[in-house]
Amino acid sequence: MPDSVCDFDESLARVDHDVEIFHCMAKLFLDQGPKDLAAIHAALTLRDPAALTRSAHRLKGAVLQFCAPSVFQATRDLEALGKSGRVEEAAQAYGALKAEMDRLLEALRRRLAEGESS
Amino acid sequence: MTPDFSPPPAAPQTVLLVDDEPVARLSMSARLKRLGYRVLEAGDGKTGLALLRQERPDLTIVDWMMPEIDGPSLCELVRRDPLLQSSQILLMTGHDQPQQIAEGLARGADDFLSKSASKQEITARVQAGMRAASLVRSLERARDDIQHKQELLERELQSAADYVRSLLPPQGAILPGATVVHAFRPSLGLGGDLFNIVEWGDAAMGLYLLDASGHGVSSALRSASLSTFLRRDSLRHQVGSNDPGAILTEANRCFPMTEDGGYFTIVFTRLDARTRTVTYASAGHGGALLQRADGHILALSQPALPLGFCPDTRYESRVEPLAAGDRLLLFSDGLYEAPGPTKELWGLERLRAAVQRLRPLELERIPEALLDEALEWLGHDLFPDDVAIVAVEVKG
Repeated sequence: MPDSVCDFDESLARVDHDVEIFHCMAKLFLDQGPKDLAAIHAALTLRDPAALTRSAHRLKGAVLQFCAPSVFQATRDLEALGKSGRVEEAAQAYGALKAEMDRLLEALRRRLAEGESS
Repeated sequence: MTPDFSPPPAAPQTVLLVDDEPVARLSMSARLKRLGYRVLEAGDGKTGLALLRQERPDLTIVDWMMPEIDGPSLCELVRRDPLLQSSQILLMTGHDQPQQIAEGLARGADDFLSKSASKQEITARVQAGMRAASLVRSLERARDDIQHKQELLERELQSAADYVRSLLPPQGAILPGATVVHAFRPSLGLGGDLFNIVEWGDAAMGLYLLDASGHGVSSALRSASLSTFLRRDSLRHQVGSNDPGAILTEANRCFPMTEDGGYFTIVFTRLDARTRTVTYASAGHGGALLQRADGHILALSQPALPLGFCPDTRYESRVEPLAAGDRLLLFSDGLYEAPGPTKELWGLERLRAAVQRLRPLELERIPEALLDEALEWLGHDLFPDDVAIVAVEVKG
């Protein structure tokens, strides 16, 4: 059943419906995703476009695995802004990424809790 | 119980996955394992390079953007390393613009894999990479096999060359009043050159230089076989004479042309201290000169077929008087047929001129000095054929 922020069916299909692997990936992302988000925030604070590009790219690669188009698009926008050196615009776009990331992390937590209770 | 004749299962092919992003790496690793591959993982380019060297995986999948060593830089490092350069590399990227694909290929990637590729595409590209890896590995095995056989062959040729050397005569005074010096340079492929002395008591000796056609161990063995025939005891029993013409006539009868066209050229001389003469006969061999003490040069040649061409050939001897200071010089064709950089041969005329020029040198220095002249013409230090030089000087 598609979630509002991510498509778990599609995401599971990417790992050939291996629920165990999917849960591993989700746990890894719950740990790593917020760190990548913090790295993006730090790059914006330091006005470092290269660091912004790197950390947005890294987060984008992880998000891709969960078929979360809005989060993916937000990371992609930030990576592009970092590449073109537009850090001010990126700071505005960061808000949208943060909000979508919170939704994705919450959806994953819920999914993991459901999986463990079933 | 039915015996199981099925072949043992082959070891799984190995994929090295280099990606600094752990979630994507886990996802790809799981997919590859399900496809039956052994998967090694590295979280950065440096670790990836170390695993490549240590494990030699069949296929390496590398993320484009990584800290420190990124994907294209890793490709460049691999292509510069002689031990790794044939590795198959799939560059994984979200960049799928033609310009970026061109850059990745130019820097050493074999193929691309989009991060958003479907599982069917991932499977197909990995399998294509594995096919290429298998082909490269089989070519490398074939190359190693050829190299190994070449080394064995070279060792055999070296061993045969050592054997030929063991048959050569010692340097120095052989007859009262005659000194013999020589030089022998077997070629890489080993020809069939051989020379030796036949001692006939205090007053006479035989001296010959032969060349078996062709190259390699078989030519060397044929030369050794003819050399055995030319030993003193063998000649006494089989020829019953020390006349060079009679010896070559009998040798021609005993050594017919081989099935694959093998034959010999030879010049055989007899030096007689009592009569102070040289008697000679040759069979298709052009490299024999008699240099008088005053420098004048006489070619000891006669038109005659090489040994083995015609069983009825009779070889005739010719005689030349000898005086103190005269030098007898025998050469194999590898010397005067040394090709220069334009493939023009050094030739008998240039050889004669060199002999003339070098006349003031002590006899002991003549063979090496002639080799130096030929090498200068050759332009490098590897003769394509065996080279043998024998020089004798008549003392007063």
